[in-house]
Parts: sequence; C-alpha cells; structure tokens
Amino acid sequence: MSGPKPDILWSPHHVDRYVICDSELSLYRIESLGSTEAKAGAVPLSEETAATLLAINSDTPYMKCVAWYPKHEPECLLAVGQANGRVVLTSLGQSHNSKCKELMGKEFVPKHARQCNTLAWNPVDSNWLAAGLDKHRADFSVLIWDISSKFTPEASVPAEKIRLSSGDTDSGVVVTKPLYELGQNDACLSLCWLPRDQKLLLAGMHRNLAIFDLRNTSQKMFVNTKAIQGVTVDPYFHDRVASFFEGQVAIWDLRKFEKPVLTLSEQPKPLTKVAWCPTRTGLLATLMRDSDVVRLYDMQHTPTPIGDETEPTIIERCVQPCETIIGSFAWHPSAQNRMVVVSPNRGMTDFTVFERISLAWSSGTSLVWACGRHLYECSEECGAGAAAAAERDVATKMRERAQSRYGHDTVQVWKNHVLAGGNDPQLKSLWYTLHYILHDHHRYYIIQCFPYFFGNKQPLLYSGIKNIVKSSTSGTTESRRCWSGSERPAEVVRYLSEERGLALQLCGWIRCGPDINVEPFLKSLEQEGEWERAAAVALFNLDIRRAIQILHKGASFDKGDLNLNVVAMALSGYTDEKSSLWREMCSSLRLQLSNPYLCVMFAFLTSEPGAYDGVLYESRVAVRDRVAFACMFLSDSQLPRYIDKLTNEMKEAGNLEGILLTGLTKDGVDLMESYVDRTGDVQTASFCMLKGSSGEVLKDPRVQCWIENYRNLLDAWSFWHKRAEFDIHRSKLDPSSKPLAQVFVSCNFCGKSISYSCSSMPHQGRGFSQYGVSGSPTKSKVTSCPGCRKPLPRCALCLMNMGTPVSSCPGTGKSDEKVDLSKDKKLAQFNNWFTWCHNCRHGGHAGHMLNWFSDHSECPVSACTCRCMQLDTTGNLVPSDSS
Amino acid sequence: MDLHILDHRLKVTSICKDGLVVFTHPLIKLIFLRNRTRCKFFSLTETPENYTVVLDEEGFKELPPSEHLLVEDSTWLPLNVVSNGHASSSSQAVGVTKIAKSVIAPLAEQHVSVFMLSTYQTDFILVREKDLSVVIRTLEEEFNIYREVGGECVPFRSQDIRNGFQKNAKITVHPVLSPLNKFLVMSLDPDTLPAIATTLIDVLFYSSRFPANLLFTSSSQELWRMVRIGGQPLGFDECGIVAQISQPLADSDISAYYISTFSFDHALVPEEDIDSVISLLQQQRHDPSQV
Repeated sequence: MSGPKPDILWSPHHVDRYVICDSELSLYRIESLGSTEAKAGAVPLSEETAATLLAINSDTPYMKCVAWYPKHEPECLLAVGQANGRVVLTSLGQSHNSKCKELMGKEFVPKHARQCNTLAWNPVDSNWLAAGLDKHRADFSVLIWDISSKFTPEASVPAEKIRLSSGDTDSGVVVTKPLYELGQNDACLSLCWLPRDQKLLLAGMHRNLAIFDLRNTSQKMFVNTKAIQGVTVDPYFHDRVASFFEGQVAIWDLRKFEKPVLTLSEQPKPLTKVAWCPTRTGLLATLMRDSDVVRLYDMQHTPTPIGDETEPTIIERCVQPCETIIGSFAWHPSAQNRMVVVSPNRGMTDFTVFERISLAWSSGTSLVWACGRHLYECSEECGAGAAAAAERDVATKMRERAQSRYGHDTVQVWKNHVLAGGNDPQLKSLWYTLHYILHDHHRYYIIQCFPYFFGNKQPLLYSGIKNIVKSSTSGTTESRRCWSGSERPAEVVRYLSEERGLALQLCGWIRCGPDINVEPFLKSLEQEGEWERAAAVALFNLDIRRAIQILHKGASFDKGDLNLNVVAMALSGYTDEKSSLWREMCSSLRLQLSNPYLCVMFAFLTSEPGAYDGVLYESRVAVRDRVAFACMFLSDSQLPRYIDKLTNEMKEAGNLEGILLTGLTKDGVDLMESYVDRTGDVQTASFCMLKGSSGEVLKDPRVQCWIENYRNLLDAWSFWHKRAEFDIHRSKLDPSSKPLAQVFVSCNFCGKSISYSCSSMPHQGRGFSQYGVSGSPTKSKVTSCPGCRKPLPRCALCLMNMGTPVSSCPGTGKSDEKVDLSKDKKLAQFNNWFTWCHNCRHGGHAGHMLNWFSDHSECPVSACTCRCMQLDTTGNLVPSDSS
Repeated sequence: MDLHILDHRLKVTSICKDGLVVFTHPLIKLIFLRNRTRCKFFSLTETPENYTVVLDEEGFKELPPSEHLLVEDSTWLPLNVVSNGHASSSSQAVGVTKIAKSVIAPLAEQHVSVFMLSTYQTDFILVREKDLSVVIRTLEEEFNIYREVGGECVPFRSQDIRNGFQKNAKITVHPVLSPLNKFLVMSLDPDTLPAIATTLIDVLFYSSRFPANLLFTSSSQELWRMVRIGGQPLGFDECGIVAQISQPLADSDISAYYISTFSFDHALVPEEDIDSVISLLQQQRHDPSQV
C-alpha cells in the first residue's frame, strides 16, 4: 500500500511557515542558516535555509484535502476534507484564542458519505468554506458551509438514522446543513473562488467547468470540457484560469469561456499540480506525476486580452529543484520565485527559480538586460585618445563616421578614410585602392591600353590585381637591370609587362600612363615622413643611392630617428659577394630590426635572386608594397601563385587591404563578408560595394543585406537625413535601386492619375514638373486636371489651386508671386508640394501646412475638427542628425 | 436534463456458483488491478443463484470461455441521466424513482427492454445497441442527448429512422419477494481499495461473511430492504419490468436502488418504507389493470 502523497501549503500570512500534509499535518518554520547555525532538529532545505518542525497534528485520519484559513486570525486554522466527505476544522500550533477554540473540531457532514475532493475558503467572506465532493446519485457535490453556523440539533434527523453514528458526537459540533448546495448528481473535482466577485465560485465538475453565482443559485455558466482538475485563478489577471486533465493544461479566459484560449503541450504522464506564481505575472508551474522537474510556462508575452487568432507565445522550461522525484510543490506567497518542494518520502527542498534573463542591444552601444525586477544597463565608457578610439564599439564609430559624411566623397575617393577618422590602416588602404581603381585616368588608361579586356567577358574595370595578373596575355619581358648608382653592378632579374605596370599603378607605386618612374611616389612618402617605406621602395627600384639619401634625410629631419643613419651606413656597405661577412651579418641581424621595411630591405639584399620569401611573407609590410614587389620580381609562374595565396589569406582574415587583390568582384564580396563578420562594419561594406557598381556585385544578396542593414541602422539612430543622403548616393551609383513612384495623385472628379495622364499624353507638353514641383515658370501653370479639366484641390490656407506655387504670404497680390516665380529654384522647394491629412482629407501647400501646424493641432478648415497633427505620429519625431 | 450515452459497449454475463474458481484470476485482475486491463466498466453482483458480471468488451476478453459462463448475445449501451443542476430539489427520492417517469416509463411504452444498474453515485440504464434509435427518438423530446466519444460529450442527433413502433405486447406481472436481510449501500474511495483488497477477495471468493467496521458508513445511516422481482428467470427480452416496479414507487415518492441481474431484478427500498412498498406491489398484482 502506498501512503498518501504529501502535499504542501504555505501559510497565507506567515511567510516562514508551511504545512506538509500526508497522513498527518506537520507545521514547519523555515529560517536562514546564517542566524541559527546547526540548530538541533532543523532539516536543511538548501544551502542557506533549514526548516524546524513546530507541530504535528494527527487528529484527522483519511485526509483528502486541506485548506488554510485565509485571514490573519485565527492563524493556523485548517480545514481538512476527509475520505468520507466530512470537513473538519483543526489547528496547528499553540495559538488557542477563544474564537479558534470554538471552531476547533467542528465538523461539516454531507448527507451522503463520499470522498471530499477539494476545499476552498472564500477569501473575502472567510466564514464560507466550499467543499467539492464525489458524485452521489441523489446529493449535491458542491457544498458551501458557514463555519460560524451554530450547532444544528441532530433532532432534525430521524432518530433511527443516527444509530450507527455513535462515535460522531464526542469530538465537537456537527453541522449538517450547508449554506448552499450546488451541482446535483454530479461530481466536483476542483474549486476556486473568483476574485471578480466574492459570490462567484468556479468548479471543475465531472465533465464541465461551471461558474456558480451564489446570488442566484439557479443560474450557472458552464462549458463542457475534460480539463476540470485543479482550477486556479491567475492572481495577476483575474479573468485567466488554468485547469488540467491528465497531462494537458488548459488556460481559460472567463470573459470568453466557450473554449480554452490556449492549451499547453501535453505531457506523457498525468499532472498532479498546477499553480500560478504569486510573485510574478503569468508564470505557471506544473508538476507531472513521478517527475523530478517542475515545468514552468512563462506567459509574459501573452497579449491580454488574448486575441482570437493570435496564438500567444509561451516560453516553456524545466527546473530541477532536487535530485529526487517531486511529490508536490508550493510557491512562497511573497518571496520572489521561491518554492518549496517535497518528495514522496517527505524530503524537502527550498528552491528559487532563477529568472530568465532577457537581453537587448540598443542601436547605439549600450546593452540592457533584465533579470527579475531589476534592469541592468551597460554602456560604453567614453575614453579619449587614439587607443580608446580604436577600442570603441563599431556602432559608435559608424555613428561618428555617418555624421562626418564618410563614404560620400565620390571625387577624391581616398579622402573617405580621413572622413572615417584617418586612424585605421585597413580603411586607408581600402579607400586608396578604390581611389586608384575608380580613378578616371586609370579607367581611361585601361580602356586605351587593354581594349581586349572589354571584348572579353570579364571587364577588368573593377578587378583587382588577381584578375589582372591572371589575364596576362602580353608577353613579359625580363630585364636584367643593374643597381643604379652602385659601383658594382649586380644583376637582378626584373619582370615587366603591361599588366604588371597596371598592377603597380593600383599599388600606387607609379602614376597612370606609360611612365614608370616611382619618384613622385617617393616624394609623397617623404612628405608624409614614411622614411623607411620610401627607402625600401627606392631600394626595390634598384636605386640604392636614393635609398641611402632618403634615410639620411629621415635621420636629419626634425625629431628624426638617428638610427636611420646607421642603417644607411650598413646599406652602403652592400656587396653581392656570396660569402662576404656583410652578407652573413646582415641576414642574421636584420631580424632584430623593429621596423619591417628596414627588415625587408636587408632581406631583399641578402636573398638569392628569385627567392624573396623574406620580403613577400613579412606580414607587417603593407599588402600593396608586397604585391608591388611581387609584380616586379616574381616570374610569371611564381606571381599568380603568390597572389592567390595572399588573396586567400586576406579573405580568411577579412583584411580590407586585400581588396587591392580582389577588386570589387565576387572575391571582394567574400573578403568583405569575413570583414563584416569580424567587425560588423556594414557601413564601410555598403559604401565600398556601392562604388563597384557592376551589377553582379550589387545584386549579391550579401551586399543587399549590408545596404539594408546600414539603412535600418541609420533609421534606428534617427539619422533620417543621413538615410536620405545615403539613398540618393545609392541611387546615383546603382540606378536599379531607385524606387518606383509609390504615390500617385488622382483627380477628385475623373479619378485619373494627374501625373499619369501627364506622362501618357506627351503631346500636351506638360510634365509632372509643372504641377508645382518644378519646371519652367514661364509656362502656364496647370491648376486643373489634364483629364477632365476640373480644377485641382485648393490649399486650405491660401485658397489657391494645387499647382500654384506658394507665395510668401498667402493672400497677397500677384506681384509677389511673380517675384517667386522668377526664382526658378524656389518652385522645386518642398514648400510648394501639396500635402493632405489622411483622415479628414484637407490639406494644401506643405509650407503653409507646416506653418499652420507649428502652432495648431486642429485642421485649418474652419468646419473641420480633425486633429490632424495628433494623428501623425511621426510628425512629432525629431531626427537626431538634423542640422 | 441531459441524457449521456456513455462510450462503453457492454456485455451482460453470468457465472454460475460452481464455476467461480475458473474466473477468480480474471475477476481479481478486473477489480483490483485496474491499470492492468483496459476495462472501463465493470460490475459484479452476487445473488444466491449466480454471479452477474457486466463489463465492456475489453474486459470481456479477459474472461476465458467456459461452460460456466453464460453470455447474453446483445451489446448493451449504458445511459446516464445528468440533472445538470437544474433538477427540482423538492423531491427527496433518489435513484430509479427519479427517472421512473421520464425514462423508464416511456421506454417501456416503446417496448425497449432495459437493464438497470444502480450504484451509490448514479443509475445506469443499459439498453440494447439495436434499440438505440428508438431510445433516442423516444427521449429526445425531454432530454438533451449527448454521446460521449473519447471522453468528450458531443450532442447527438438521431438519424430520423422510423421503423414502425412495435405492437403492444402483453405485460406480464411478476411476483415479488422480499427477504428479511437488510442492506447497507456504500461507496469506497478508490485509493483505499488496495488497503482492503485482501478482505474483499476473501469475501468475494472464499467466505460469505462481510467483516464489520470495514467501510465508511453513510452519515444518514440508512438501511435498505430488498424486493426481488420474478419467480422464473426473467430473460432479457421482456420489457416493462422496471417500469412496473418503479412507477408505483415514484407515485409514492419512495427512493429505490434497482439492480438487474442475469436472472432476476432487485429493488432496494428504505427499510422504513418496505411495508408500504410490499403492500403497493401486492395490490398491483391483484389489480393488474393499474399498470
């Protein structure tokens, strides 16, 4: 025989007391361990808390259900429903005031014995105790007892009928007359009083849920359902009720009682308890038989009132309070998310359900998360200085760049890196690359020199060096050049071809055109103080004297590095003797040089011809310099291999310097993808890809995604003007992105579109521009519909027809208007546009409307009471980038 | 009032006293190990003549075929009247009396044979499956009829088949008999069933003495006397037997349990009313025209 399953009840008023009931009632007090260290007899419930047994009551056998008196006094008064249907009042603990004594042991006895399934005290009129009983064919199943009712004389019962009840009368008062009897010939499995009204009782009957109204007991509302067990009202939303049947929970809305508003996913075993969390809205805990987890359903997001079609979202999760199977659980009445669970063998655990954490990024840099009733915000520290700037969140950077019009300089493309802040070497390289690729001279040069590229399917216009090198068709010439300026001529093989020349141009080493002199480049490097780099470039162009000269210059320059002199001296000792001491020392000591360019200079000088790995794989050297070097000194077989390898490296790393190699091609998109993955910088990605307006690249879904994301980002920051600028910029570079006309103005009388009829009737010689948008002022203004000749609507303020340009002050004579008309540009201004309220359909010139609504909220038409301005939710928003 | 057609297809069987030993195992399984069978309806009545077992088809599969087992051929459907809370509570009479006028009598008039099973909780009216359309047509005037399908109640509409009412048959008046023993009607909390299983097994299969102080007693402490109907085994085809007993009881507002078995019918009436019941029924037998 299995003993009765223990149940657990929290005291409604003492937050530290609860009762475990199985075959007897045991009252426990819960306390934190900190205060009472290892108190004798205390049962540990968790790491922090322990419970002490205060009292045991075993007066009431055959216990089926227990309910705790809802009021403060008398405390610890319990009603016990027994297997024979009797309800006995009993108490726990020592509080024996007079009222309690009077009630103690009082029994409420139904006419026919059968199991008492459930008990519910009325929370308002606490004298009322509802009992739900099993079915009897001639009796009621819901009995409402008045606990204060006086002793009912047994004399009312025929004398012979109490023959067998000899043992009954000794324990106290017996009440046999209930206050209300409901649910005849039915069974009641669960009960709860509805908080809506103290006289409404919700009962789970045999096959239906019924709401009994005690004000009129002949009336009841009911719905046929199987889910009739464990009815319980959401403490935060009094129309929401949960009930269950077997493994399934149904949630009801009492205002729409015909069917459950939702049913939770069915569990494989029957449920034993369902309870709303009293400290948090919409959290329902369910317990399945023989289960070691409590399943929680979070209905926070359920829209209330619950719609007809929308299935509300519910977050379901499980918590495991203890190792063993859970017999029952009870939420703590006030401590947040806390519950005590009891196992079938009375092991108890104190447990707090950890709150879900929900997290949200702002469109800026801050991060917010919520846990329980706390909201945490985390925002970026605004440090100063370049180091802090590099560390900053990409959102902050993008915001600043958007405000400095980053990406919009289409003439001097390289300047965009300055707009971006000028401290990111990758961006600098990117924009210089784009500058060279998009440079007019460069493109002109390509078309001049490589006409076959355009006959070919693959235009090299936007290609990077990778494609240029691969497409190499013209022969490569090898030239053995001597060191210029060096006494001892050394022979180094240098390769030349038109493609290599083009590549060098893209690298920025030489100017456009046939001239291959690097001197201008060296000059510009000297200007920027990049002495080491300039020296290296000079050296790679086999001008060792120029290199030494540059180093000298660098050393003597203001605040120059004196070590450069030392390097110059070392350089001047160059010898191509294979076994010289100079060579030996240089090749080993160069690795200790901190500057990569100095390092590669010696690597170049000491390496065997054709084996320049020391230069090519020095990752600290800019990609463009390495590539330029490769184009000069690698053979036709080595070069593509090196370029391919480097390209893949760049693609993997998402290094924007690699755009030089890939160009704005599919490869470039791949590279940009890993860059965006790494940094999230959709801004650079969008602008960069827009430049390469070859359709193929722009149609790539990834590119479209970056562009859309960037636009959304601008919207989220309320940078609407920047958004508009970006859209204009975009439509210039990518005509396919130009939106089609979405708004048409149709005539009130004939219904034809005014603009449409203009475009479809070109013979009339009227363009849409004439309707007040733009156009020549000398032509007659169109103030009537071109379709039916009826007048166009009038402006509510100046009473002029649509199509008439706005005058500076409405109502003045024509002279003013003429002044306006003479100013061609003014016609195109926004003030001349027509605008309407979508609600009352009154409107007029946008300028007039703006004026009017700046200090009115009602429609300007006198008879109209429409509050147009308040209907316009976006009208009150102010862009954050307004200038 | 609602009439529910329950989702059970029942067989009425009888096990003779000598054959019980063959059926001990399936019966114990059906009574005490409810989770081991798929039987959802089970009733066992012991009379001096035999054991009447009413059970659904799933339960019937548990019973081994035997010469000791008699089975009535038809399939029976249990009906249950649910007052739905609207019943007038003026009448204190319970059970079969309550439905005598609304269910039993109309069915008797339409010559539908019924098999009554009264329990502590409710009264089941078993009708043959083939009579269902007649039953529904007869009762749909007065009741909302629901059919339970998979545990859900669905309103039931009769397909309007009218296969002609049967001709009036002669109503036999059966003799009644009232033994002196008194009966106590009780219900049992299912959870306590395991606790008393051994005692019950002993009572059912090995001895005939029912131990005292075993079950909860009714607070009203009513005792009941039995009226047995029929001198010869009644069979299943005759109609109007329940009606001829319940009608006079209903007229006098006397509560009754009515339990049909394989051979005879039994009515339980409150012991204080037994004398008037007997005299009522005897009077009826002398003057059959009243029926």
